[in-house]
Amino acid sequence: MSARELLPIASRKETTGLAWRLVASQRLPLIASIVSFVLAGLCALVAPWMLGRIVDLVIDGAPERDLTVAALVIGAAAAAGGLFTWASVAFLARAGEPALAALREDVLDKALALDSARVESAGTGDLLSRVGDDARTVANSLTEIVPTLVNSLVVVSFTAAGLFALDWRLGLAGLGAAPFYVLGLRWYLPKSGPFYARERVAQGERAQAMVSGLQGAPTVRAFGMSADQVATIEARSDEARGISVTVFKLLTRFGARSNRAELIGLLLVLTTGFLLVRADSTTVGAVTAAALYFHRLFNPINALLYIFDSVQSTGASLSRLAGVSLLPPPPARSGSLADEPGPLVLAGIDHAYVEGRPVLSSVTVTIAPGERVALVGATGAGKTTLGAIAAGVLPPVAGTVELAGTSLAELPSPLLRSRVALISQDFHVFAGTVRDAVTLVDAEASDEAVRAALAMVSALGWIDALPDGLDTVIGGGAHPVTPAQAQQLALARIALADPWFVVLDEATAEAGSAGARDLEQAALAVTEGRGALVVAHRLTQSESADRVLVMHEGRVVEEGGHDELLAAGGRYAELWAAWSAN
Amino acid sequence: MTEETRPATAWALLLRGLRRNKAQLAGSFGLLSLWQACETLVPVLIGLTIDRAVATGEIREMVIWGLSLCALFGFLSYGYRFGAQIGFSVVQREMHRIRVEIAAHSLHPRGARTTLRPGETLSLATADAELVGQFIRSMGFTIAAVISIIGASWYLLTLDLVLGLVVLIGVPTVLLLTQAVTPAISRHTEHQQATVAEATGVATDLVRGLRVLKGIGAEPVAGARYRALSGRARDASVRSTSTYGAMTGLTDGLAGIFLAVVALVAGHRALSGDITIGELIAVVGLTQFLAEPLGMLGDISAHTARAHASARRIVDFLGTPHLVPVGDADLDGTGLGQAAELRLVSVAAPGLDHVSLASRPGEVLGIAVTDPTAAASLMGLVNGSLSPDSGDLTLGGFPMAKLTSRARDEHLLVNPHHVDLFEGTLRSNIDATAALSSHELDRLLDASACADVVSLVPEGLDQPVTPDGATFSGGQRQRVALARALAADAPVLLLHDPTTAVDAVTEHRIAAGIRELRGDPASRRTTWLITSSPSLLAQCDRVVLLSDGVVAAEGTHHDLAALPAYAEVVLR
Repeated sequence: MSARELLPIASRKETTGLAWRLVASQRLPLIASIVSFVLAGLCALVAPWMLGRIVDLVIDGAPERDLTVAALVIGAAAAAGGLFTWASVAFLARAGEPALAALREDVLDKALALDSARVESAGTGDLLSRVGDDARTVANSLTEIVPTLVNSLVVVSFTAAGLFALDWRLGLAGLGAAPFYVLGLRWYLPKSGPFYARERVAQGERAQAMVSGLQGAPTVRAFGMSADQVATIEARSDEARGISVTVFKLLTRFGARSNRAELIGLLLVLTTGFLLVRADSTTVGAVTAAALYFHRLFNPINALLYIFDSVQSTGASLSRLAGVSLLPPPPARSGSLADEPGPLVLAGIDHAYVEGRPVLSSVTVTIAPGERVALVGATGAGKTTLGAIAAGVLPPVAGTVELAGTSLAELPSPLLRSRVALISQDFHVFAGTVRDAVTLVDAEASDEAVRAALAMVSALGWIDALPDGLDTVIGGGAHPVTPAQAQQLALARIALADPWFVVLDEATAEAGSAGARDLEQAALAVTEGRGALVVAHRLTQSESADRVLVMHEGRVVEEGGHDELLAAGGRYAELWAAWSAN
Repeated sequence: MTEETRPATAWALLLRGLRRNKAQLAGSFGLLSLWQACETLVPVLIGLTIDRAVATGEIREMVIWGLSLCALFGFLSYGYRFGAQIGFSVVQREMHRIRVEIAAHSLHPRGARTTLRPGETLSLATADAELVGQFIRSMGFTIAAVISIIGASWYLLTLDLVLGLVVLIGVPTVLLLTQAVTPAISRHTEHQQATVAEATGVATDLVRGLRVLKGIGAEPVAGARYRALSGRARDASVRSTSTYGAMTGLTDGLAGIFLAVVALVAGHRALSGDITIGELIAVVGLTQFLAEPLGMLGDISAHTARAHASARRIVDFLGTPHLVPVGDADLDGTGLGQAAELRLVSVAAPGLDHVSLASRPGEVLGIAVTDPTAAASLMGLVNGSLSPDSGDLTLGGFPMAKLTSRARDEHLLVNPHHVDLFEGTLRSNIDATAALSSHELDRLLDASACADVVSLVPEGLDQPVTPDGATFSGGQRQRVALARALAADAPVLLLHDPTTAVDAVTEHRIAAGIRELRGDPASRRTTWLITSSPSLLAQCDRVVLLSDGVVAAEGTHHDLAALPAYAEVVLR
């Protein structure tokens, strides 16, 4: 397991703040839920009270009617209690689930806003386990914590008050258990906290292992690596399991400490009662009642103690969600652009992913509106990096990129993207319909606009042949599309978005056999009338470009028209010879 | 996980969890029952202490009963601690085993024909597996609850026949009535789990396509799509939880009403003198105590309904058929070894119209196609995920469908065009088992031009690779994948467009490298190259042109270059 740079985890203070804001955002249903829980708790107190009354009535030989009334009261309280319980759970779901949904949506939004390299270095499993495992942990404990807290507080306060009302000395004796409960908590909480944090990280690793294996399934099968991959998943899952078991063992040892506190408290009450009775300063009946009251405190007190555990466990998950949710939003940018396209100017660009290993060195390029510039060179020359910088996806270490006189760094992201788009070499078929795939750039686009964009990239033919046309679900396990078709869809997005400039980073590479030329035609159609930086290995693309840039080891070493560079007999001529041989 | 142990129904899956852990569960349930019994004895012992010590004022008695309480708490505490620990371990292990089972099925050497996305499968292996685990956990409480109810009923029966009958009729009635809500819980839970899985699936999809989204500024639209699904999951959760609340409320209410009935009957029996006051107090205390296990049983049936819904999702997934048919021909002792001949006889499949193709061992065969469907079909046919509509595929004369997974793995590598790299290092990606000598490794790194990739990164072959290998460019990833394919040194190797992201000069070197590594006739290796790259095709011993589903032409690259149909596909 490599030391991955996981996404941030919020501090306790930040997490608490977020929890409060979430709670506050759902104040009404939460209050309704708590009130219902209190009412349900009060209804539950009716039965013991009425049962006592029935005993008294029988002893007094009261009329049968009184007995029936008491029984009816029990039944009515039970029915009301049931209704309140239903209401409280339903209100709680209405408070908790929306808050959590908002949180996980916020987490995904923030993740989408992150630099893609940042998400990749953390591993997608880290993010997925947060929106999955962690959100679920919080949801589950929410449905436990609130009812337990409310019920237990109702019972504890009524019972403790009863205990003190019986005899304050017996009440004080019972209070003698408190320090032992506190000692138990102070033993347990510092020990279990780190385990919960580790458990959640391990769950992230588990998700990572599963998703990697599942996404690479065809390769896994082809190379007979199934056993290894499953073994990796098994190991990660087992590690998470091991931590869970360890932390549970701690929890049961904490339970033993609570039992000890119960025993001490009980013995204190009984011994105090014993002494008080011997001193004739209280009655046996009072001691009996006190001991039984104290006994009835066991369950609710334990429930309250376990809430500390739940809070800690939930906190571990919440802090992971908060860590992403509280990431600062990208700084507001106020740059604006004129309505008319201006040139895209890269000046003195240096870039290095790792300090001391430059990928680009003082690259200066200007692309005029409507100009098609091809970028060629061996793999590793820095073409993709330059493309990403030109599109404003990657900020350079040094140098400036300006669009129509405004620095890309000052342009708000939506404005920038509406003017400069990038199609990268990693194609991805998003699960959804064909329409969904195209309207990623404009959710409001009409079907006519979508069809026009698809027509421009000559994709309408095969799309109309699909079982449901634009509504055909593609990607995932649904209708398969070829890489060439996937890139056609990517080009159709550009046609729909209609930016001033487009960077095509080997957008035709995945096409491979057969489809390459059609795709090149599509790319040509899409770049028509807009500025384009085309990273190309298929030199037909540089042949048709207005200008060719040849890169080598992070520098532009040749620049000029196709014929001009061929005549010069440099690297481009060499590439062209290799390309056109055979 | 063998086929035999795969449960056929949701109940079978749930019960299997109990069955295969029965020894430990018996221990856990036994200890938890001990704990329950001790908990029940606490008030009894309190009563005795008051009776014998507090009321008498005897110090000796106080010491004896105090010590007894200590002993009782000892049993109680250890009973819970170890009973719960064992139970929890079983639950965790069972969830772990189901997770591994799901992983093993989806990554089975023969594949799984599922439409679930990776994120949905992940949700199945975590969220659903958890609910199934909870079922096992709840069994301990079920047993404790049933024992309590039986014990209390028995006591009431011996005490008073009428009261006993009330309980005997009342308990099943309450339980039956609560079952009215169970189907709704099951249905809502299944819907909830499905929407949750769908949302996870879309999140996975979006995060995986993040680079693409960034390039076109589609983050807001993508975020909105996730919000829509997350909203559906939220609504489904609210509905499912509310139904669960209805179940809890119903159980609580009915248990309370039952208590009222018992109190009424007992009160009248006591008034009429059929039972004593002391017995009345006992009855009332016991009935009140009974409300708890009764409520617990209602709660458990709700949990079980949820677990059942999840178990069904898991069983459905595990029941999806494999992609690749399996046989029992392992090709051992056939002497085929390195020289397995791959042959297609009059094969019909999408894009292929009764195509016959074969190559002799040692040959590098180029296949140029006009229709990408034909290429996809060829790959699918040979890797086994696609069955021919008609015709035969044989490897070394054996029908491919009859081969064992091992025979396939040993003789055949169908290298997917799409590159998937795995977390680790360049070395672990290329030579996962570290089986190659440094000389062999150097040779194939040169042949695949992957040596350039290795020399560009600071740590060479030990350069870390992130999941998906996203830090490498497309051309670099493609060369690592090619090096990996060559490293496997399979007797029969299919490559599909292995150089589409590589520049022309490098492609030339790779073409020559593949030729040198695979094309030595003495090695008896067979290589099929599905490509339209003239550089690669020029290095092939023979090239076939598949056009309109049939072999339209055959010869060397240079022979075919004059054909317009071939030039159309291949030339730049």
